[in-house]
Amino acid sequence: MNLPPLTEPVLLILLSLAEQPRHGYSILKDVEEVSAGRVVLSTGTLYGALRRLLDDGWIERFEENDASRGRQAYRLSPKGRRTLQAEVTRLKQLTRVAGLRAVRKEA
Amino acid sequence: MQALYESLLRLFPRSYRRQFAEEMIAVFREVDADARKMGNIVTAKFYLREITGLFRGAIAEHAQRILGSPAPFPLSSRRFTMRSGFRFPKTTALLMTVILAGIILAIQKAEEISAALPRDIAPAGPMWAPHVGILTTIVLTFLMVYVAGALGWIILFALRRSGVHRLSDMPTAQRD
Repeated sequence: MNLPPLTEPVLLILLSLAEQPRHGYSILKDVEEVSAGRVVLSTGTLYGALRRLLDDGWIERFEENDASRGRQAYRLSPKGRRTLQAEVTRLKQLTRVAGLRAVRKEA
Repeated sequence: MQALYESLLRLFPRSYRRQFAEEMIAVFREVDADARKMGNIVTAKFYLREITGLFRGAIAEHAQRILGSPAPFPLSSRRFTMRSGFRFPKTTALLMTVILAGIILAIQKAEEISAALPRDIAPAGPMWAPHVGILTTIVLTFLMVYVAGALGWIILFALRRSGVHRLSDMPTAQRD
C-alpha cells in the first residue's frame, strides 16, 4: 500500500477507532488525550473527517447496542486497519532513520 | 448557543445534515456541558472553535459536492482527493478551453481598438461624474458585486452540470 502520509488529525481519529469502536464524543475526547491536548477537534471538523473516512471505506457506522441512547458509533474497517498499519510502518521507518541520523550528528 | 449551532448547521448540504446533524448536536451538547464546568475562557474558546469549524466544514462540504475536491478542508490529506484516473470530464476541459479562447480573443480585440484610435485624442475624464452621490455609488457597487456573484454561481453551475461533482461519489475501490 503506497499512499501519501495521513494528516495528524486523521491519523489520530483512526488510532482512536483502532482501540475500540467509539461514538463522536468519545472520539473527540480520545484524540485530545492521545495528542496530549495539542489536537482539539471541533464537531464540524470531526464529522467532516468521518464523512470522508466513511466514503473511503476506512471506517464503518453502526448503532450502539445500548438502545436507550440510540447513538451512532464508528469502527475501523479491515481496509482502514490495513491503511493504519501501513502508516504506522511508514512512521516507524521514518523515526528509525531520524534517530540514526540524530545520533550520528551528535557523535 | 445551541440555537446558533443548529442554525449554522443549515449551511451544510441537506444530505450531510440528514446523515449527521442530529448526532453533531448531541455531541455539541456533551462537549458544551464539559466546557461550562471548566470556566468561561474554556467555554468561549470552545464556542469560537465550533463556529469556525462549522463554517469551514460547510465550505468544504459544498466544495466537495460541487467541485469534487475538499480543498478548503483543514483536515484534508491528499489521499482523500487523489484520483488514479483522469480527473476532469472532457466537457469541463472543453468549457475551460472555450473560456480561455474567449479571453485571448477579447485581449486581441482590445489591442486592435487601441491601435485604431488617434494618438492625439484628449485624455478621458473621470469615470464618475462629479454629481454622482454616495448613494448612487453604493448602489452601483452593490450591483457590480451582485453581477460578480452571479457570474461565479454560473461558473460553478456549469462545472456542476459538466459532471465534475460525480467524481466525489466514485467508490474508493476504484481509486486504489
